[in-house]
Amino acid sequence: MKRVTVILLCLGLVLTANAQKYMTRNGYIGFFSGTPIEDIKADNNQVASVIDISTGEIVFQVLIKSFKFAKALMEEHFNENYLESEKFPKSTFKGKITNLAAVDFSKPGQYEVIVEGDLNIHDVTNKVSVMGSIEVIPGGINANSKFNVVPEDYKIKIPAIVRENIAKIIEVTVAIRYSPVDNK
Amino acid sequence: MKKSVKIALGALILLGLTGLGIGLYLYNKQDKNLQKAEPDFVITSVDLQKAFEDDEAVALTKYVNKIIEVTGTVESIKGVEGNIASVVLKTGSGLSSVICTLSSQSDPVELVSGNEVTIRGECSGFLMDVLLNNCTIIK
Repeated sequence: MKRVTVILLCLGLVLTANAQKYMTRNGYIGFFSGTPIEDIKADNNQVASVIDISTGEIVFQVLIKSFKFAKALMEEHFNENYLESEKFPKSTFKGKITNLAAVDFSKPGQYEVIVEGDLNIHDVTNKVSVMGSIEVIPGGINANSKFNVVPEDYKIKIPAIVRENIAKIIEVTVAIRYSPVDNK
Repeated sequence: MKKSVKIALGALILLGLTGLGIGLYLYNKQDKNLQKAEPDFVITSVDLQKAFEDDEAVALTKYVNKIIEVTGTVESIKGVEGNIASVVLKTGSGLSSVICTLSSQSDPVELVSGNEVTIRGECSGFLMDVLLNNCTIIK
């Protein structure tokens, strides 16, 4: 009986140590547009993301409708006029950590990473390369990044009348806490 | 003559002020507080998730942007930085849940995994889970 317990314990340890995929379904992505006229901020706490630490592959999926704004009218314009969330409900990113060797997933600590991949917004896909950090913590992984997106690159049309209210470059913030896929 | 000009001027100013008022009101309008809003649908988390799994396209047109009052068993509660928490509700599927992201005014207190809860929220769609946003706990 005792031996069985020991075997089970060892197996458990091996399984945990071998967790290759980490995920979240309530990650955070927000963006910020700052102009002298007004600051606009939106938050999305419903981000789904998976990271495979053996290959460095990383995938994000968000619903455009999940972005919340301080003002209801901004949210309406964002969905109906700019991002056309009825037609293009999702935004996705598929990419890879290019310097995976720099991260030791078995050792808690903070590591700087470069992630390259395809960012799809408003049904337009662009290659992007962003800087971020991976923090290995007991029982999980934190990932953070800040990068810029230019709405014009994604064929997002902003009417001339509000052009001065919306920044030419939008700052995007990503904050994710991943858990191993096995223990959901 | 003078009097009529005065009246016209007064009416014009009044009209301008009303316009300005409506404009400011619309511009500053906040998200609906769902505590007082009438739900468009009252449904269990099991049925809601099943609707999306059976036919996502149909469920999307039916539920997205609608106010949904969902009742289900709490699977887990997830805190997020910036202290907005999500309540994950159990469904018939082991992989896909109903995730209710609470509004910033809402407080996720006294929720225990395994308990039944009723939450009102706006449906934003379906990724791996059915997502409700701006949620408030009804009971």
